[in-house]
Amino acid sequence: MANKSKSALVIGGGIAGIQAALDLADMNIHVHMVEKKPCIGGRMAQLDKTFPTNDCSICILAPKLSECFRHPNITLYTYSEVQKVDGSIGNFSAEILKRARYVKEDECINCGDCAEKCPMRVDDIFDRQLRKRRAIYMYYLQGVPAVMTIDKENCLWFTKEACRICEKVCEREAIDFDQEDEIIQLDNIGSIIVATGYNLIEDINSNVLKEYGYAKYKNVVSALEFERMLSASGPQGGHIKRLSDGEPPKRIAFLQCIGSRSNRGKQYCSSICCMYTTKEAMIAFEHNNELESYVFYIDMRAGGKGFQSFLSRGKAEYHINYIKSKIGHIDIDKNKNPIITYENLDSGEIKQLKVDLVVLATCIIPPKGIEKLAEVLKIELDDYNFIKTPPFFPFETSREGIYTCGCVHEPMDIPNSVAEASSAAGKAAEIIKRG
Amino acid sequence: MSVINFKLRNEVLKHNASLSYCYQCSTCSGACPVALETQGKYNPRKIIEMAILGFIDKIIEEQQSSVWLCSTCQTCVELCPQNVELTEIFILIKNRSFDAGKVPEAFISQGKAILENGIAIPYSRATNSRRESMNLPEIKTAPVEEIQKIMRETKFEEKIPEEKT
Amino acid sequence: MAYDLFLGCVIPARLPFLEASARLVFEKLGIKLNDLEGFSCCPDPTGIELIDHKTWLALGARNLSLCNENRGVMSLCSGCVETLKGVNYSLNKSKEIKDEVNTILQSVNKSYDGKVKVKHFAEVLYENLDKVKENIVKPLEGFKIAAHYGCHYLRPSEIINWDDPLDPVSIDEIIEILGAESINYDLKLECCGNPVEKSDEELSLQMIDNKLCAILKAGANCVALVCPACFQQFDFKQRTLNKEKDSNYNLPIFYLSELIALAFGYEPEDLGFRYHRNRPNDLFKTIGFNT
Repeated sequence: MANKSKSALVIGGGIAGIQAALDLADMNIHVHMVEKKPCIGGRMAQLDKTFPTNDCSICILAPKLSECFRHPNITLYTYSEVQKVDGSIGNFSAEILKRARYVKEDECINCGDCAEKCPMRVDDIFDRQLRKRRAIYMYYLQGVPAVMTIDKENCLWFTKEACRICEKVCEREAIDFDQEDEIIQLDNIGSIIVATGYNLIEDINSNVLKEYGYAKYKNVVSALEFERMLSASGPQGGHIKRLSDGEPPKRIAFLQCIGSRSNRGKQYCSSICCMYTTKEAMIAFEHNNELESYVFYIDMRAGGKGFQSFLSRGKAEYHINYIKSKIGHIDIDKNKNPIITYENLDSGEIKQLKVDLVVLATCIIPPKGIEKLAEVLKIELDDYNFIKTPPFFPFETSREGIYTCGCVHEPMDIPNSVAEASSAAGKAAEIIKRG
Repeated sequence: MSVINFKLRNEVLKHNASLSYCYQCSTCSGACPVALETQGKYNPRKIIEMAILGFIDKIIEEQQSSVWLCSTCQTCVELCPQNVELTEIFILIKNRSFDAGKVPEAFISQGKAILENGIAIPYSRATNSRRESMNLPEIKTAPVEEIQKIMRETKFEEKIPEEKT
Repeated sequence: MAYDLFLGCVIPARLPFLEASARLVFEKLGIKLNDLEGFSCCPDPTGIELIDHKTWLALGARNLSLCNENRGVMSLCSGCVETLKGVNYSLNKSKEIKDEVNTILQSVNKSYDGKVKVKHFAEVLYENLDKVKENIVKPLEGFKIAAHYGCHYLRPSEIINWDDPLDPVSIDEIIEILGAESINYDLKLECCGNPVEKSDEELSLQMIDNKLCAILKAGANCVALVCPACFQQFDFKQRTLNKEKDSNYNLPIFYLSELIALAFGYEPEDLGFRYHRNRPNDLFKTIGFNT
């Protein structure tokens, strides 16, 4: 053979990264897939259902996760990060930091005995800090690889040289405190795809959330928090309960454009919120047929296939009231019930609506660590810190041979992320197949 | 039938381009304390809407639910996602209203007081004796001629409606 | 440390006791106040500005031209602060406006280049909290104070550039340092309604009624203010409301400087509480504030 077959590097294990990796792997190209979190799945794993079909999110995602894991052409590096990239198109090399999980991946069968006994309680990030996990934990129930991870920063052994109970109870002897971080050198990489997803504006504790009492009022939650509350595998087991008193809400206000389309937050439109809010209101209605939902919006943006009829269904069948009036601030009464003041545009009257729960449709922002990653890859970011792409080739970055797809360069929904992933994979494959 | 006053609208736009940024989201009317109190009869979003459409003459005519009810609390300005400077725009409209002779009496009284005394509340004998009893120093306010000269330069004096008592 | 003192219209003429308490407080803090000579109405940002913006800019710039750039100017009134800061903002934002205003000022042999720093007296106090703390001899125990920030003390934030416009803390922090309790209440950041009085007295009255009601509901026993327009609204209107609306208001209203003066040990008689419409004598007795 003239030269060894080149491989592709996919950074990011969310639906976009997964789709790109599967496409490349099915073309007989070897893929190195690097994911920062202990499991792949990304944001889609955090969703209960997906619009506009209201299909169960994890049901669609899980087969793809399995395929990624078992595919002979995919090498999965989870709990890992790309630290260095050298070279150029057709001939990149990368250095991957594979963090030690302190658990033998080949032995662990995810039985959960260790977690049951672990004495530490840590905020569960997957569940948006709505509940606590242990220091040895499974990132989420259906995660792939189905292997536990020890969080070094909160584990008593690493912080105080005590405990090690997990080691004692593990029947498979899968705990290994002597594991070390590994640096893995990858050469002969033909092309790279960046698909590291997104964060939300509440993750950076933006000022704009203050007027809504987010983090101050218990009955004001963000949309992703509400998604976890709706989820059967979430912190409330699928029973929607107010965080102030555990009561099921009978009236929910969904506020749109929180931190987006605004000079006080981000100026762009977060793209998916109008649709996911309708979805969340529909699912909430399925949990409780007497629920009254009110969506307060500037415009309802429903541009995709089946989207507009989705909204109409929401209005007709799920008793969702759409009120055109953006809300600027929330008051609270002495029983911690939020009060919304809004204008009824038809009558011009100013009205006040008392609700049990407020769900904020918060703005999508670039993921944590994007600046560092851009530096490593030597690609440009735009004014909002999303990956900069040319307007007619949205899968290209500023560097040849490095492609991108999904929310890391622009807020978008799952169908678009998947479409972009396939297009990025096609481009990446071109380079590799060229030889 | 309402007539669009393009000239007046463009004048407002020239002084404050932020008028054109408004996308009528009604964050302002939802946050306005006067709108809540008057149950929507005073409505900042509506005033901006009318200003954008050029119906500024109509705003000036409607004294009752008018732009004069703005309490200048600036909550709308603070919360507006598009940085529309509502209070500044209302000031422009109110200034034009004054030019057209349509202004609540209290404003004219204040203007006249400043024109005649340099300050809005002239000191009476009672004021001075109370100040003395509290060991407060004597205040030397502006020479009235200077203030009057300035108010002549700005043509304020000419604008005061004569017939009002 | 020294500041030029801009008094405005309302305080020296109608509420001189507020001026008195402020002078005593700053004297104790060792901050020298230099009385400006020849100032006019700032002019009123809820009055003249609304009918003639140009006159407002010109008179405001004239006032600022009297001030010493090295010292900076302090005012006891939120309205005056807004005007002076607003004039600075406009002049510094647009050369055209600066030139226009200076042309007008030329007619009275004055000029202004937009460089005088303007501060609200509460800003100065907040910046000298250590000195305030040092001088407290009578902590205000038993005072349950509802802080009313008012509007022009905070907004528009681009011009005022001080405390958080929608979630302020400065006055609450000063109150706590004085040893009093700061009470949270509904409508805390709502406008007192004073500017609306010029256009609709009934509406203005309704707005202050709402505030007083919310404050009493929250269990406060007095109010702290930093603006004389708010002071007139809060102190004077209680009687009007009692007459017209059958209410029974009798809530003592304090200016921030008066509260600090009390904490510094000055006697209530020297602070002119007899000039308040709602005298705090009963409050002092009830909470056992040593008079």
